[in-house]
Amino acid sequence: MTTPESLGTPKSEFLDGVRQALGRANIPPSEPYPRLTETIPELEQQAAEVRSRLANNLPNLLDRLADMAAKGGWNVYRARGPEEAIGHVEEIVKKSGATTVVRSAQSVFERVPLDAALASQNITVTTAAHDNENPRESLRETIRQSDVGITGADYALAETGTLVVLPRKGLSRLVSLVPPVHIALVRAEDLVETLDDLFLLRRLEYHQQNGEMGSYLNFITGPSRTADIEMTIVTGVHGPKEVHMVIID
Amino acid sequence: MTATPGIRADLYVTCIIDQLYPNVGVSAVKVLRRLGVTVGFPEGQTCCGQPVYNTGFQNQARTLAKRVLAQFRDSEYVVVPSGSCAATIRVFYLELFADDPELLAEAKILASKTYEFSEFLVNVLNVQDASACGAVHKGTVTYHPSCHLLRELGVKTEPAKLLSSVPGLESRDLNGAEICCGFGGTFSVKFPHISEGMVTDKITNVQNSGAETLVACDMSCLMNMGGALNRQGSNIKIRHLAQILDSDSD
Amino acid sequence: MPEIKTQDFSAASVAAIQNPKLRRALDRVASGFEVARLDRVAEATPEIWDAWRQQARDIKIHTIEHLDYYLDLLYTNVTAAGGQLHFAKDADQANEIVAHIARTRNVKVATKSKSMVSEELALNPVLESIGVEVWETDLGEYIIQLAEETPSHLVAPALHKSKEDVAELFSEKLGIPYDEDIYHMAATAREVLRDKFMEADLGISGANFVVAETGSLVIITNEGNGRLSTSAPRIHIGITGMEKVIPSMQDLSIFLRLLPRSATGQRITSYVSMTTGPRRSDDEDGPEEFHLVLVDNGRSRMLADPALREALYCIRCGACLNICPVYARIGGHAYGWVYPGPIGAVVSPMLVGLKQAKELPQASSLCGACREVCPIKIDIPRMLLDLRKKTAESPDLNIRSAPKSERILASLFSSLMSSPRLLSTAVGFANLLQKTERILPFSHLTKDRKWIRNSLVPPLSRWTRSRDLPALPKQTFRDIWNKELSRDDS
Repeated sequence: MTTPESLGTPKSEFLDGVRQALGRANIPPSEPYPRLTETIPELEQQAAEVRSRLANNLPNLLDRLADMAAKGGWNVYRARGPEEAIGHVEEIVKKSGATTVVRSAQSVFERVPLDAALASQNITVTTAAHDNENPRESLRETIRQSDVGITGADYALAETGTLVVLPRKGLSRLVSLVPPVHIALVRAEDLVETLDDLFLLRRLEYHQQNGEMGSYLNFITGPSRTADIEMTIVTGVHGPKEVHMVIID
Repeated sequence: MTATPGIRADLYVTCIIDQLYPNVGVSAVKVLRRLGVTVGFPEGQTCCGQPVYNTGFQNQARTLAKRVLAQFRDSEYVVVPSGSCAATIRVFYLELFADDPELLAEAKILASKTYEFSEFLVNVLNVQDASACGAVHKGTVTYHPSCHLLRELGVKTEPAKLLSSVPGLESRDLNGAEICCGFGGTFSVKFPHISEGMVTDKITNVQNSGAETLVACDMSCLMNMGGALNRQGSNIKIRHLAQILDSDSD
Repeated sequence: MPEIKTQDFSAASVAAIQNPKLRRALDRVASGFEVARLDRVAEATPEIWDAWRQQARDIKIHTIEHLDYYLDLLYTNVTAAGGQLHFAKDADQANEIVAHIARTRNVKVATKSKSMVSEELALNPVLESIGVEVWETDLGEYIIQLAEETPSHLVAPALHKSKEDVAELFSEKLGIPYDEDIYHMAATAREVLRDKFMEADLGISGANFVVAETGSLVIITNEGNGRLSTSAPRIHIGITGMEKVIPSMQDLSIFLRLLPRSATGQRITSYVSMTTGPRRSDDEDGPEEFHLVLVDNGRSRMLADPALREALYCIRCGACLNICPVYARIGGHAYGWVYPGPIGAVVSPMLVGLKQAKELPQASSLCGACREVCPIKIDIPRMLLDLRKKTAESPDLNIRSAPKSERILASLFSSLMSSPRLLSTAVGFANLLQKTERILPFSHLTKDRKWIRNSLVPPLSRWTRSRDLPALPKQTFRDIWNKELSRDDS
């Protein structure tokens, strides 16, 4: 962590300029912004409501997730358990002609032990979690060379068909981004209904942890895309060309 | 069957109708009378000031706006056969006089009694059906909603309601109806190449609609589109809604 | 600041209109983004769509009203997350901040994901001058970087280029065989830039939003270059305008519903990426340093003017460009600077100065379509009118927009219209001229004498270049009223 350097205009001077433009002195908003005054108990209460709504609607919401994810460009598969899930993964990997797979180290892989199944097909699986034997640099190179990246989900957003990942130890930012194929394993417990629900939960964590929620958050909805040339949609520009979501009921 | 009797309305005829398309004004008067309205015409009226207002000449605009305030001070209703002029009076005068409390108060009063022609018929006179004014038409018509009518006054359904109830009138859809025709007042002569491009697109759509007559509630738009259509040798006629309701008098 | 060509608007727009290839490219935009946007609006239902817009507008009004407070809160939280927030009053200062970081961190290669503000600053030449290799990675930006051009649209910067243009460009600059296949060209960009992403020392991004509550930077993207630029290098610098701050992360929901739909008609983009400080100590990857550069560069001028303040609510979706019939004819480059279209006609003059850009607010018919599609209900026509009011007769000759002839005409018009008698006399005279049009060639009538075909008198001559004018009728309405109508015989 570097110490802050004073580059540019000092904050007080800059803010004075803003106040001058607004034609007033340093006065905070007369009415505080509701969201910014919510207490942790209030956020927890809202989170409980989110969870109860999820629990009461799970089958519908899983269907909604599948539907919206497909509309958003995911290839969607439903699996009634770990074996079926592994089956789908094997099929996807085989179809892509991949020989190297890299994955994150998330708890879903304990429930869905796909390493052995893939290894038996002569596909190398590397877990991108650094330790003394596997420094970050070598894992980065492995990710670069891999044909497929597999992650779990931190959340799966039904409203938009979005996979939400929170990079951290054991979850590289690049695993879901660099290889041309990305497979995501989603469990029912990862589900959230709306964008509002998702951000509420993140804010709860942020405030519960005294202003900490990790360095990054990614929403992934479909493959990488562009329409920059003649408005023609092309996938797989800089990110994955194919994304597959296996929803494990 | 006439609608609400006993209403007195003053006509704000607009300078473009007064000077260039007087028959539109005549039709408007006749239609209103058929509907039982006693029509007045304050004779000192001239331009609402829109051309100078839109070009940023506020002082000139105020001069002309003050005349309008004076001319229509005693009116019960003011009926305007132009969306843009009605919008100028009802919406833009409030901005023009924002810094003058007395004139602003007057402008607000005027705004509250000023109506564009089609909205006056439908919303004040409660005309549900154009046969109430004896309208008949033979042929196909397409309708262009002018921008200020649509977006500043929010008049969306009234003209179509009236047109669709004219016996004998066949409506044709206009592709890209809500796209500006390219007039924009002084814009048309300040940026003629852009304006030309816009009107060319518009009349292509008009011609593709298959309609024999192009109808609108603004003569400024019709002057623009009509002028382009005529230059192209088109036989498509331009008519103000009032003329259609007056059975297409020429 | 990048070269300002706003003063060439007239000539540039005429040239643009005479370019059929540009027209075809612009037609594709209109038929693409706006149609998809309308589908999304219908899907959400107009009532809900309008409620979202109002909610977003209310957030922006509040935030900009209290911009100092939220910038202060943002600063606290960026710092608490381990990042650094730098304030830049103008382009030079912003560029110096970025250059300083690059220099002192020994940066050799930088990858950039899309940042309109960095175009505003003309950042790239500054970095290049200190020996940094700068790679634009957004496909559209990459194309215009190779072509040494400026963006012509807020969302799709290379829209003015046909696939043949791009094929030729790639062939020339990359030394590869000419190939018009769009999929192949995208694949070429992917290949060329893949190594750069991984070898870059510095990733530069813009920001769609910066969240005061958590000190986070949010980018809303489709290609993946934004994710790569903010994940792979050891340093990430985010650059954006100071008006991009929003109070709470919760507010993101409403903007995420509005922005993709308004910009491209997508329900959501492929990616939304939120950065909160540099990597944490046991993260697998991510930049070790996070810097956010917030730029004023003239925005306080809009902030200080209540009539123009709402220009700062803009979320740069481009919907106004896609609907504007003027933009549809002239494209983005005619506007002469970084921000084109309706919002550009307000923002460019305010940032580069009215002296050079006073024509931009004039080139509009004030149709209001932009306001109708704006997700934040920004009243662009009002702001254009306000700028016209400020410049038409300004005592400051630098910004005065109305030439003497126009002011004379306006006075003349106003005088005529102030006196019905004078008006009547003038019209009578014009009628006389019309009768004698064979002798005095003021205006030449059509055969049926209903139209004026050719007028030599400016500004009418500009009209009759392509359109006929109605000939003066024999009587005015006033005449008819006095003769026949004033007695109510019905």
